[in-house]
Parts: sequence; structure tokens; C-alpha cells
Amino acid sequence: MNAQPVIDVVNLSKAFGPKVVLSNVNLQVREGESLVVLGGSGTGKTVLLRNIMGLLKPDAGHVAVEGKIIAQLDREELFKVRQKIGMCFQMAALFDSMSVEENVGFSLKRHTTMTRAEVADRVDECLGLVGLKGTNHLRPSELSGGMKRRVGFARAIALKPEILLFDEPTTGLDPVMTDVIGRVILDLKHELGVTTITITHDLKSAFEIADRIALLFRGECIACEAPADFRRNPNPVVQQFLKGDADGPFLQDPPPPKRAMSRALHPPPA
Amino acid sequence: MIVRALDKIGAKLLVMMDQAGDFALLSGRTFAAIPRSPFDTPNLMRQFLAVGVNSIPVVVLTSLAVSMVFAVQLSFGFKQFQAEGLASQVEGLAVVRELAPVITGLMMSGRVGSAMAAELGTMQVTEQIDALECLATDPIHYLFVPRLLAAAIMLPLLTGLSIYVGYWGGYGLLVGVEGQSSFVYQAEFFKLLGFRDLRIALTKGLVFGVIIALVGCWRGYRTQGGAEGVGNAPTSSVVTSSLWILIADFFLTKLLLV
Repeated sequence: MNAQPVIDVVNLSKAFGPKVVLSNVNLQVREGESLVVLGGSGTGKTVLLRNIMGLLKPDAGHVAVEGKIIAQLDREELFKVRQKIGMCFQMAALFDSMSVEENVGFSLKRHTTMTRAEVADRVDECLGLVGLKGTNHLRPSELSGGMKRRVGFARAIALKPEILLFDEPTTGLDPVMTDVIGRVILDLKHELGVTTITITHDLKSAFEIADRIALLFRGECIACEAPADFRRNPNPVVQQFLKGDADGPFLQDPPPPKRAMSRALHPPPA
Repeated sequence: MIVRALDKIGAKLLVMMDQAGDFALLSGRTFAAIPRSPFDTPNLMRQFLAVGVNSIPVVVLTSLAVSMVFAVQLSFGFKQFQAEGLASQVEGLAVVRELAPVITGLMMSGRVGSAMAAELGTMQVTEQIDALECLATDPIHYLFVPRLLAAAIMLPLLTGLSIYVGYWGGYGLLVGVEGQSSFVYQAEFFKLLGFRDLRIALTKGLVFGVIIALVGCWRGYRTQGGAEGVGNAPTSSVVTSSLWILIADFFLTKLLLV
């Protein structure tokens, strides 16, 4: 295993106006490793990925990919680094004016000298890897949510990236499709041997995919360890997140009281 | 009270300066990106179709309407001095120098500029532009450049078409309705015009094309805030580019006619 981390997030902080989204986040991902980042909604998980891709500039700290500090690269160098990273967006972000085939082959046509036949072969191969053979000529509007995500995966892996970033790949899907997506990610990880960062809310697939699990809480990374250790982590925030309980330190505002508790506290007038 | 008013004016001014700077920067990046590879020919052809070919009916109809209305006014006006013959001369002057380029520019800012703003705005709010970035593709190169080239090449051609249609619109009215001699109309239409006037008209078309494409793309690219933002982008693109077309028209006329 390579000693130098492939992705090195150092003291990363980012705020939008007065709202601090990330504060002093440190994460290292080694080659071939699969990191899952958990966290409640609005805790800056997507912002973390966007900083890694160079779509946002950090307020403090930096992100280094293969030793190159993203925020210091010029556009040309940044695009070179991005060719090694495949990003899968939360809502797939497919080009809606293009067919599935054109979407998946987009980067091949622009960044390689492959012939049309070679591009078509690679597109078929990528669509095969995500289990969507034969959908080449469909439009994004004709696809279901799960299919869109998988076409997004196929587009991200077309250039054979060394790093894959998944932004909430299962949000808004039914449990079966969630499992399908989880399996596709596992397959991609094993077959391509890529380094991955996956952001998710889905604990089941998180424990399946992860070599390490990190939890972001109020902009800070409060845990980052192997799945077995993560389960045993005594931090009440981690335990509350794992149990999915509304009561505890996780929420900033207290949750609405449960009915029974509410009735006990405020008995109805006799 | 005064301080607060000054504060507000200052803030507005800062926003305007900020926007002007942003627009200038993006425009500069667009021009710099033109020679960069890969050159996307199919994409450019699609824009030629959208900006040029698909706009022909609009340009023909508006040019015809405007030139005919103008001919009616001229013939009515000059009739008061028994100088109907001058109507075709002034018609030629007005159509070639002003009506064709400005009407084409304004119509295209409504038809093409707004479409660009809406398309890029939708792409922005649905993360498609971020996806382009992540696929190591410069959105300026992929989205702005073909639109700029298409508009800069097609607008002069459409202006030429508009002049041609304007000529026949005036002909239909002055010869067909007012009963002037066809031979006289054909000779008189060009009497006050030189080659220079055609050149000025086409230069105006080129400049208007650049304005329409850059403003449309810029407004779309800077869209924020979901459906409302996408709704505002075309409106503000049409308003801004129409305004700049009229301002540019004044200065181009003043400078080029010397």
C-alpha cells in the first residue's frame, strides 16, 4: 500500500456567509481504499466533495490529490487532475439534451483520440458494468431515478479514473434500488480497483462498501475508522446516528416530543 | 438618513461594478478559448441551425412588416410636398443603415439570447455545468464559444437577409400599392447608399451578435436559485442585450459614419 495518501484533506474550512459548513476537517484516503462519509443533511458532505473536485475554493486549509494542491492549480492542470477523478452527482446531472450513449461517451470524445467504434465499445462496456446494457439510445428523461444514477456512474468511469467520488448515490431511491446501487459501487470498486469516497445516509450499504467510515457532525469530522470500530465508537453522536434515534445530541434544535411523552408532560384537560 | 442613502447607492454601485467586471472577465475568457482544441464542429453546426436557419422566418416577417409600415409613413409624408419619388430613397437609407440591423438585433436578442440564457441557466441549476467541469471540460469553451461564433457569423447574414426582405417590402408597398414605377424604385432605393452603408450594416450585425451571445451565455451561466433564477435569466438577458444593442448602435453609427 502506498504511504502517501491519494486524497489528503488538511484542515479544510469552508463557510458560506455566516454559515460555517466545514471547519478543520482532516481526512486521508489511501490508494485503493474506500472511504464512506456519513453525516446528517447539511453537514457539509457535498461541500467536501466539491472542494476535492475544485468546484469550490476552501477558506482555509487545502485538498491535495496525488500530492497536488487543488486550489493552487491553474485551469489546465486542474482539468488534468479531474480526468483522473470520476464524480457521480446526487441527481446524476446527466446532459439532458444528449442520449445515454452520448452522455457516457462525452469525455472519451473530448479527451481521447479513440475512433467512433472504440468509443461505442467502451460505452457498451461501461453501461455493462452498471447493468444498463441496451439503453444506449434512451434520453435521460426516459430513465428512472436509479437508472439515471447508474448512467452517471458509467459516465464517470468512462475515462478509467483512479478515483471515484459518489455524492449520495442512493438518496431518494427505494430500498431494492438502494441495494442495487450499493452492489454496483462494490463491483466497480473490485473490478476497477479505484480509490473511492462515497457520501451516503444509507447505513446498510455504507457498512458493505467501506474500508473506513467517517462521520461529519456540525462541519467537523468526529470519527474516521474501520466499520467494526465505528460501530463500537462510544461517542453519543455516533451511536445516535447508528440507531437513527431523534433524541440525543445530534440535532441542534430539540426534536418534537413523541406523542406519549407529550401527553405525559401536558395531560389533556379532564 | 443621508449616510444610509449613500450606503445604498454605494452598495448598488459595487454590485454593478462587480457584474461588469465578471462580464468582462468571462468575455475575455470566451475570446481566449476560441482557438483552443478540441474544436467541436457538430456542436457549432447545431448552433448555426439554432441561431441562423431557425431564425429566418422571424427575421423575414419582422423585416417585411417594418419596411412596409415605414414605406407607408414615408409615402404619406412625402405626398404632402408632392415629393413621392423621395420615399424610395429614404426607404433605402433607413432600411440599410438602421432598420435592418437594429430590428434583426432586437429580434435575435429575444429569440436567441433568451434561449441561450434559459438553456445555460437550466444546465447551471441542474448541476450539468458542474458535471462538465468534472469531466475536465471548460464550460466556457464547450458552451460559450460555439454560441458566440454562431451568433457573430449568423447575425450579419441575417442582417443581409433583412435588407433584402426590406427592399421587397418597400417595393410591394410603394410600387404595388402606391403605384410608383418599378424601374424608378429600383434605381432610387440605392441612390443615397454606398458600399460603405452595407459594410456598416454588417458590422453592426456582427457587434450585435457578439453582444447577444455573450450576454445570453453570461446571464445563463450566472443563474442562481432554482426555477426563479432560470425564469429571470432570459428576461434580464433580453433587457440587458437590447439596451446594449441600442447603445452600441448609436456609437457605431456615430463612429462609422464619419
